[in-house]
Amino acid sequence: MNEKDLKSMIESILNEMVGNKAEQETVAAKPAQTEATEAPVVQAKAPNVGGLVQASMPVEEQADDGECLDDITEIDLRKLLLVPDPEDREGYMKMKEKTPARLGVWRAGPRYKTITSLRFRADHAAAQDAVFSYVSEEFVKEMNLVPIATMCRDKDEYITRPDLGRQFSKETIESIKQHTTKQAKVQIMVGDGLSSAAIEANLRDIVPAIAQGLKMYGFEVGNILFVKHCRVPSMDVIGDVTEADVVCLLVGERPGLVTAESMSAYIAYKPTVGMPEARRTVISNIHSGGTPAVEAGAHIAELIKTMIDRKASGIDLKL
Amino acid sequence: MNEQLLSVGIDMGTSTTQLVLSKLHIQNLASSFSVPRLVITDKEVVYRSDICFTPVLADNRIDAGQIQTFVQEQYRKAGIRKEEIQTGAVIITGETARKENANEVLLSLSGFAGDFVVATAGPDLESIIAAKGAGAHTYSKEHSTSIVNIDIGGGTSNLALFADGELLDTGCLDIGGRLIKVDRGTHEITYIAPKIKQLAERRGFQLALGQQATPADLEPIIGEMVKLLEESVGLRPPGDFYDTIVTNKGLKLDRTIPCISFSGGVADYIYQEAAGDVFQYGDIGILLGRAIAASSLTQRMTVALSAETIRATVVGAGSHTTEISGSTITYTEESFPIKNIPILKLAAADESGSDEVLARAIADKLNWFKLNNDLQRVAIALEGKKSPSFQEVQKYAQGLYKGMSELLEREYPLIVIVHHDMAKVLGQTLYALLGYKKDVVCIDSVQVDNGDYIDIGKPIAEGKVLPVVIKTLVFN
Repeated sequence: MNEKDLKSMIESILNEMVGNKAEQETVAAKPAQTEATEAPVVQAKAPNVGGLVQASMPVEEQADDGECLDDITEIDLRKLLLVPDPEDREGYMKMKEKTPARLGVWRAGPRYKTITSLRFRADHAAAQDAVFSYVSEEFVKEMNLVPIATMCRDKDEYITRPDLGRQFSKETIESIKQHTTKQAKVQIMVGDGLSSAAIEANLRDIVPAIAQGLKMYGFEVGNILFVKHCRVPSMDVIGDVTEADVVCLLVGERPGLVTAESMSAYIAYKPTVGMPEARRTVISNIHSGGTPAVEAGAHIAELIKTMIDRKASGIDLKL
Repeated sequence: MNEQLLSVGIDMGTSTTQLVLSKLHIQNLASSFSVPRLVITDKEVVYRSDICFTPVLADNRIDAGQIQTFVQEQYRKAGIRKEEIQTGAVIITGETARKENANEVLLSLSGFAGDFVVATAGPDLESIIAAKGAGAHTYSKEHSTSIVNIDIGGGTSNLALFADGELLDTGCLDIGGRLIKVDRGTHEITYIAPKIKQLAERRGFQLALGQQATPADLEPIIGEMVKLLEESVGLRPPGDFYDTIVTNKGLKLDRTIPCISFSGGVADYIYQEAAGDVFQYGDIGILLGRAIAASSLTQRMTVALSAETIRATVVGAGSHTTEISGSTITYTEESFPIKNIPILKLAAADESGSDEVLARAIADKLNWFKLNNDLQRVAIALEGKKSPSFQEVQKYAQGLYKGMSELLEREYPLIVIVHHDMAKVLGQTLYALLGYKKDVVCIDSVQVDNGDYIDIGKPIAEGKVLPVVIKTLVFN
C-alpha cells in the first residue's frame, strides 16, 4: 500500500466517523488544523470552568520555596457549599448540618470539581492508612499496655485470614496468663482492628474514664492487653484464658470516608470461644464527632457494672 | 422503648384559669450499638378543661381554695388521679402574678396538682410558653423564617421572637382586652387600667368611669393600643408612650420580622369575626381584636395561624415546659424531685482558664446567692467542652470541687448542669473527688442561664434520664 492509498483510506475513515456534520463544517479533511484552531478555545474556557482551577494556576508558576499546600482535609465539609448562587443557602446549609454526606459539591461539566475529587481521594487515603498502619510501640509503652499478637504474621495475612486474627500461639497464651489476674471481675483489652488511628486518637481519654468509673463501683482495672492484628472474637480466647467475668475490647472500627478515628467497645459477660455473636454488647461510634471518648468511658464503666450484677450481656441483657 | 409521661399545665391568668393534660412520648432514638439518646418525640394534648374566670377574693387576693376545687374537679372529669401526674407546670401570668398572695398560691397549687408539678412565673417565660403553645417555634423551623408571636390576654401582650426554631428575644406590653371593662347590659365603663387612663389623658381622649361607651367612642384609644403593638414589632418607630407601656422590656428590634402569629383570648377575634354583641364579655377584647385584624400587623406581615389561641399558654405549660436531660448523666442521689433551685451560670472566661480560675469564679459568684449571709441551694451551670480530654474533665471537676466548698457543707447534693455531652464522666470524677461521700447530680444537654431556676424530677426510662423544667420565678 503506498502513501497515497493510505492517505485516502484514512480520509474516508475519518469521513465516516465524523459523518455529515464534518461535511458541513468542512473540517474533516484537515483534522490537524482543526485541533490547532480549537485548542486555544478550550484553553481559554478552562479557567472559567471552576474558580479553583483558576486560583491554583499562578501557584504552579512559582518557584519551589519549600512551602506546603494547605491540607484540604482540614476543611469542614459540612460548612463547604460549592453550589454557586444557591436559591436558599441557609436551607442548604441546614441540610448539610444534619449529615456528613457530601452534599452541594456542584460539578465541572458532568464531573466533580477538582477540590471534591481531591478531598475524596484524601479521605480514602486516610482510611486506607488507618487500616494498614500500626499502633506505634511508643504509644503502647506510654499507655502501659501489655503487647501481644494474634497468629497473623503481617497486615496482608490479617486482612485475608480473619480466622488467624482470633487465635493466639501457645507462647502468647502463656504470656497472657503471666500478665493478667486470673478470674478478675473485669479484663480490659485493646485491639488495633481495622483502624490504628482510632486507638491512638481515643485511648488516652477513654482508659482513665473507664478506670475511674469502675473504681467508683469498686472494681479494679488490672493490666490492659494490647493485641496486634486483632479481630473481635479474640476477646473470647482472652475470656477463656483469664476467666474474667467481663471482657471489654476497645477496637478500631473499619474506617469510612467520614472519619478514620472511630472506635468501638465490644463487651461480653464470660465470653468463650464459639459463643453466639449475640452475646456481645457494642458501643460504637466513639470519636470526637460522635460519642466523646470520656463520656463513652463513663458509660462503659456503668455498663460493665450492670453486666456483672445481672450476669448477662448482648441480647440477654435487657437495658 | 416507648415511654409516656402524663403532664399537666395550669394557667392562672389575668382573667381566666384553665388546665390541660398532655402526654409526652419519650423514645430512645439511638441504635442498639451506641450510647442511648432519649428524646421527647411527640406531645399531644389529651384533655382540655373548661375555662373559668380566675377567682379573686374581695380583698383582691387570689382565691386559692376555689382554684384547688377547680383542679380537683377537672382531674375527676378527665378520669385521672393526682398520683398519675408525672410532670407539669403551673404558670401564674399577667395581672394575677402581681397579686399579694401570688407566690403563696402558686407554690401551694403546684404541690396540690402533683408531685412534680412545678411553679413558674415571669413575663419572659410567659411569652415563651405562650408562643410554644401557639406553635410559633415549630412554624419558624418548618418555614425557615423568623416569627413573632403576640399573646394578647386580659392584661398583657407577651411577645416572643423565634428564628428557625430558636428563641431570640421576648418582650411584654401592658396591653390587653380587659384593661377597659364595660358593663354587658348598660355598656357603662366600669374599669380603666391606670396606664390606659394615662394614655387617654395624654392624647386628650374623653374616657371616664360610668360613661356609656359605644364602639366609636372607644375607637381612638384602641387605635392607640394597636399603634403601640405596631411599635413593639418594628412596624413603626417607638412613640412617646412606648417606654411607659412596656412591662419589663420590649423586643430589641435589630432585624425585620416577616411573620406574625397571635394567641391569647383576643387572638380569636383577630383570626375570625365575632358574632353577637361586641361587649358580650364585658370588655374591649373583641374590639381590640378587630382593630388588630384591620391594622398593618396583619397587612404588612405574613400571618401564621396559631395552633392554639386562648389556650396557648396553658398548652405551653402542659406540653412545652418539661425537657429531658442528656442520656449519659450521673446522679447518686435518689430523693427526687428537687425543686426551685436557682442557677449560677458561669461566664465563658471563667471556664477557659485553669481550675484555680474556675474555683475562684464559683466562690465569688456564690456570694450573690447569700441571703442574710446564709447560702441558698444553688445549681452550678457551665458550658463545658465538645469532646473534652480526660485532663480537661479533671480540670473542670477540680475547679468545681474547690469552688463549691461552701456548698459542700450543706446536706443537699451537689448539682451541676453542663451544656455539652460530658455529664457522666464529670459527675463520676466529682463523685470520686468527694470520696464517694457526697451525693452528686450532674446532667447535660440542658441550656440554662442566670436568673433561671431548675426543677429535677424522678428518673424515667429505667433511670437513664431525668425530666427537668427550666423556668423563672418572677413576681412583680
